[in-house]
Amino acid sequence: MQIVEIDGFNAHCAAKGVAREVSLYLLQGEPLAIGDFVMVHVGYAIQKMNEQEARSAWEVYDEMLAAEARGA
Amino acid sequence: MTLTAQEWLAKIRALPLQRRVRIMNVCGGHERSITLAGIRSALPKTVELIAGPGCPVCVCPEEDVYQAIQLALQANVILVAFGDMLRVPVNVPKGEVRSLEQAKASGADIRPIASPREAVRIARENPQRAVVFFAAGFETTTAPVAAMLLEGVPNNLSVLLSARRTWPAVAMLLDSDTPGFDGLVAPGHVSTVMGPEEWLFVVEKHRIPTAVAGFMPVSLLAAMYSVLRQLLEGERFLDNCYPELVRPGGNPGAQAQIAQALHITDANWRGIGVIPASGFGLNPCYARHDARIQFPDFDAAGRKRAGQMPPGCECASVVLGKINPNECKIYGRACTPKSPVGPCMVSDEGACRIWWAAGVRTNATAGDAQALDA
Repeated sequence: MQIVEIDGFNAHCAAKGVAREVSLYLLQGEPLAIGDFVMVHVGYAIQKMNEQEARSAWEVYDEMLAAEARGA
Repeated sequence: MTLTAQEWLAKIRALPLQRRVRIMNVCGGHERSITLAGIRSALPKTVELIAGPGCPVCVCPEEDVYQAIQLALQANVILVAFGDMLRVPVNVPKGEVRSLEQAKASGADIRPIASPREAVRIARENPQRAVVFFAAGFETTTAPVAAMLLEGVPNNLSVLLSARRTWPAVAMLLDSDTPGFDGLVAPGHVSTVMGPEEWLFVVEKHRIPTAVAGFMPVSLLAAMYSVLRQLLEGERFLDNCYPELVRPGGNPGAQAQIAQALHITDANWRGIGVIPASGFGLNPCYARHDARIQFPDFDAAGRKRAGQMPPGCECASVVLGKINPNECKIYGRACTPKSPVGPCMVSDEGACRIWWAAGVRTNATAGDAQALDA
């Protein structure tokens, strides 16, 4: 869900038109800002969403091999 | 570089798979996505997907469900629990209250909740009543329960905790003679909280390829591809196919909160037995919020079939991935979502319930498959 408003350990979050009150208590070490996306489980944000990275180590491995082949 | 689910599927189909490979998942959410997206039938026939221990409601001790029912009936508390706990049956003689839902129907104050925060709200709104939060769940749910306790709860709220850790059940399977799988898809949200490193033992000690997956088909298929290619190439590593959420070390703040509020205990898994270091108890500083301390044990000594699965129910074998849901003799016969016998047919994370929801109406026991509800 996307954070719309933060008030202490509470946040207003929204996803696909659904609005929820979410606790940020489990993410106290994480700098959070309005607009960030968080994964919510039973009313608690359990992690901030990262930027998309490689989906599998094999993707990175194959990409490297392909790059080597191109360079060769 | 990011591939679509279709592209991952094409990559799996292009692998030179010859022998049968069994990949186990240990998460009800994974099993739901796999089954509802039809991933089983899309994969090559040599790949078998097994639903392992991934349903906390299914392994919640029968004694704990019985105790929750009795608390609501005899101790006059407001009993709150996650919704899919309400229909789990216990073993009592005919005519006696056998689920929280039946207890509610007979007048007990039982309220389904979706978050620990609702338990706190209900306790605050009812200061004259004792409120007991019957909390079953894996680590992803345990962390919010710990956060709830640390944040401060009213004096009239206590917790009947049936929290379980996921990896010890997999370790138990792997230490047995018949683990029953060649690759593991590790749970996404448990790893989000506890860190993917919890699953390194599967790779390092048991040499079984493992990949953490999220809940979308794209992530699940990437994890299956990773596991299969590791098997084919003789490589072994812990892959992270849910990088948008799963980071090295997980959520250390959440882990610290669990450690502050709870301690690790040996724990009973319904129909399976005690698994070492697989559960949580409240730390002594929360004794006044521990329902196991605050209330008497209502379980009568010698209650028939206490702790067991109901007669004929093979949920324990389903939970351990030893049989498919429809290989249980009563699947779809005596046991349906309308009148569930075992917990796997009750919970949204139960493999039987998921298979039924996906339209599996064939019972595969007794040699010739018998179509149900034809």
